[in-house]
Amino acid sequence: MLRLPLVASIVVLVATACSPSASPSPLVTATPAATPVPSTAPIAGGGGTLAVAIGADPGHLNPAITTSGATHTASELMYNGLVGLDENGAPVPELAESWVIEDQGATYTFKLRPGVTWHDGTKFTSADVKFTFEEVLLKLHARTRSSVGPALDSIDTPDELTVVFRFKQPYAPLLQQLDVTEAPIIPMHLYAGSDPAKNPVNLAPVGTGPFAFVSYAADSEIRLKRNEAYWAEGLPHLDEVVLRIIPETGSQIVALEAGEVDWVWNVPGPEESRLDQDTNIEFLRTDRNPGGSNCVMTVSFNLDRPILKDLRVRQAIAHAIDRQQVVDNILFGQGRVAEAPISSGIPWAHAPGLSVPNFDSSAAATLLDAAGWVAGSDGTRTASGVAGVGDGTPLSLSFLHFPTFSRYGELFRTQLAAVGIELRLQPLDPPVFAETVFTKRDFDTNIISYCNGPDPEIGVRRMFDSAQIGPVPFSNAAGYSDPAVDTLFDQARQTIDTTARGAIYRQIQEAVVAAQPYVWIVETSSVRGYRLPCSGFQAYAQFAQAATCAP
Amino acid sequence: MNRRYLARRLLQVPPAVLGILVVAFLLIHLAPGDPILALAGDNGDAAYYAEMRATFGLDRPIPEQLVIFVGNLLRFDLGVSYVQGRPAIDVVLERIPSTLLLTGAALVFSTVVGIWLGLIAGARAHRPADLAINVAALGLHATPSFWLAQLAILTLSLWAGWFPVSGMTNPRSSATGLGLMLDIAHHLILPMIVLASTEIAAVARLTRAGLLDELSRDYVRTARAKGVKEPQVLRRHALRCALIPVATVVGGRVGHLLAGAVLVEAVFGWPGIGRLLLSSVQSRDIPIVLAVLLVIGLTIIIANVITDLVYVRLDPRIRYR
Repeated sequence: MLRLPLVASIVVLVATACSPSASPSPLVTATPAATPVPSTAPIAGGGGTLAVAIGADPGHLNPAITTSGATHTASELMYNGLVGLDENGAPVPELAESWVIEDQGATYTFKLRPGVTWHDGTKFTSADVKFTFEEVLLKLHARTRSSVGPALDSIDTPDELTVVFRFKQPYAPLLQQLDVTEAPIIPMHLYAGSDPAKNPVNLAPVGTGPFAFVSYAADSEIRLKRNEAYWAEGLPHLDEVVLRIIPETGSQIVALEAGEVDWVWNVPGPEESRLDQDTNIEFLRTDRNPGGSNCVMTVSFNLDRPILKDLRVRQAIAHAIDRQQVVDNILFGQGRVAEAPISSGIPWAHAPGLSVPNFDSSAAATLLDAAGWVAGSDGTRTASGVAGVGDGTPLSLSFLHFPTFSRYGELFRTQLAAVGIELRLQPLDPPVFAETVFTKRDFDTNIISYCNGPDPEIGVRRMFDSAQIGPVPFSNAAGYSDPAVDTLFDQARQTIDTTARGAIYRQIQEAVVAAQPYVWIVETSSVRGYRLPCSGFQAYAQFAQAATCAP
Repeated sequence: MNRRYLARRLLQVPPAVLGILVVAFLLIHLAPGDPILALAGDNGDAAYYAEMRATFGLDRPIPEQLVIFVGNLLRFDLGVSYVQGRPAIDVVLERIPSTLLLTGAALVFSTVVGIWLGLIAGARAHRPADLAINVAALGLHATPSFWLAQLAILTLSLWAGWFPVSGMTNPRSSATGLGLMLDIAHHLILPMIVLASTEIAAVARLTRAGLLDELSRDYVRTARAKGVKEPQVLRRHALRCALIPVATVVGGRVGHLLAGAVLVEAVFGWPGIGRLLLSSVQSRDIPIVLAVLLVIGLTIIIANVITDLVYVRLDPRIRYR
């Protein structure tokens, strides 16, 4: 009965945090008012056991040494970042109580929360933060290493509760990169002097998070218990969380229906309407996942291929794709048509109102005619005077995709056939896909779920940066290179003011929409499913910190 | 005699295992797919990927990697899992008990039920019971186990509610001792039946064929003539001889069961080496794949040696030299 006011107060707080004033503003930001935790939280414990289905064995439980979604999903409840991110991606205090930004964004000073302890009782201090960054995150966490690493000058710890990040130049994305996904803090006293990738603590972790480790049975389950000494007063409510490894989505849904688990991370579109009939099952819709947030399904054109060097062909393909059909028939409503290269999940960087090509077969046909692709009697187009392509060559393109995305391939093949383009589908397992597309660059077109993450610097830049063409998986697949765009990305990274920064990203988006190295298809969302009486969840990271399963 | 034969067979094991692993090593390295993704996660920079490749020796040419691999193998070192960062053999050994439980239970279950069904069918040859068993056996043999598994979950777990949907234990129970054993047994039944189903069909058909063969022999006619009751004739006389071919296929069936376990473990969320193999192939965690293949290869080879020995026990006419 005491749960209701709590949930209500969280909603109010989230709403506060949503307002534009809470997004990173120049020079000074301290947001104690947006703490996700009500100080008058009444319930402590007694929330029962939550059984969670997760899709893959994590292998280990140290989120600081990997970006693997499996490890992060399984371990984030046990850790904290310096800051958390609210529903809209705005930073809220976690291990850091407040922060000050100086030198136009080149110096960030964090005041740590006093009285926080690790699960083993040791005191948490600024030394843990410095150690985690210098010895672990900047060496082994792929995203933090490649983005924060080159920009950072030093990390100082003037006292036990103060951490100062100094950058070589102003660095705007930092606050988006300090949550438990991008920068979980791990205990120095257990990791110092060891190889963090091989430390046995990775299998029996010690964190500061709302839940503490109990046991891990490989490929079976991970048991966590309530952290009695959690710094957020009155949280968590659940006594126990059991993460159950169920590899197949279908089996996870069945387990949810049978009541064997209370929470699944992803309810597929076709199952959603069926589960909707079950009055015990509720949904939570979100664009964010432990493995990646704000994902945009994107078709890449290999710009090295003669056929695709012609902008008109790329635009024709963009016109030939009916993206609403993707939303309706593939996602079953779990997503929306992408209106800009940057996801609407990053509202200040998303540029609405761009002239993104819409579904228009006749425009596609006109563009192809103009480009020298002549339709034959059976509708297939062949080259006639196309530069770099022999006359009579059929307009046939390979389309590489993960086996899980085969429905996109089938739909696009039909849609492109309607304007006389043949698509040859090549389903490839992820490791093979990555090698073929990014190392060998042996493809015409492909589809990738590019997750934009909480900040464009992390997940968007890699798609367009000319320095990121090459062997790195899920970088610049198109092989797009424009020095002006590279410069704009550098500027955006150094611009702390969100409005000014957003304007730079709009310029970038205008440039890449005009060049069309990609077709941005749909922004996908995830639907979490949970069983009553469990409630009080948030979408990700500390998703269960305020949840309870008590009836 | 048999001892010398056994020694010779055992001497053949190491080269056979080495051969299996070298072929598997080459296959998985020559197959397309870059383990770097699972190893380092995405969004890294090129230097990071290069460092990780070097750490795991993936930057060297394949022949050199093979030499290193074989050298380590001879020192019983299978390398370190790319994903988990600990010795591959430890990861695999942890999973063996659950797979052993599942496949062992399925082996016993399929043998007992298969022989029992074969006995019924053989004793009532060409009558409705025989026909029913034959048709069912044929159907079961032809059904893919992953489909049967999903059907079983849908009907027996979800609709009837008799069995849990997945896993090895109840996540909400903290039982130990007997309670835990009963919990595991409850979770074991469905995957065991599904895994055993194909084998039940094979055993039943073998038993039936053997039984029909034996029932037409002179010693059976003699037994019947001297007044031995029919159940006795079937069980004490004919069935004993009819089981020799059934026993000889046990070794092969161990292989089938381990192969089947890959699918069944995946569908039922059973934490065994089959599932480990599947996930490590998907992520190209090569040391784990090879360690699993080593265990499976060894198991099958040993099962075959044991079968040969059992054969001698069952049929005194056979002598190995």
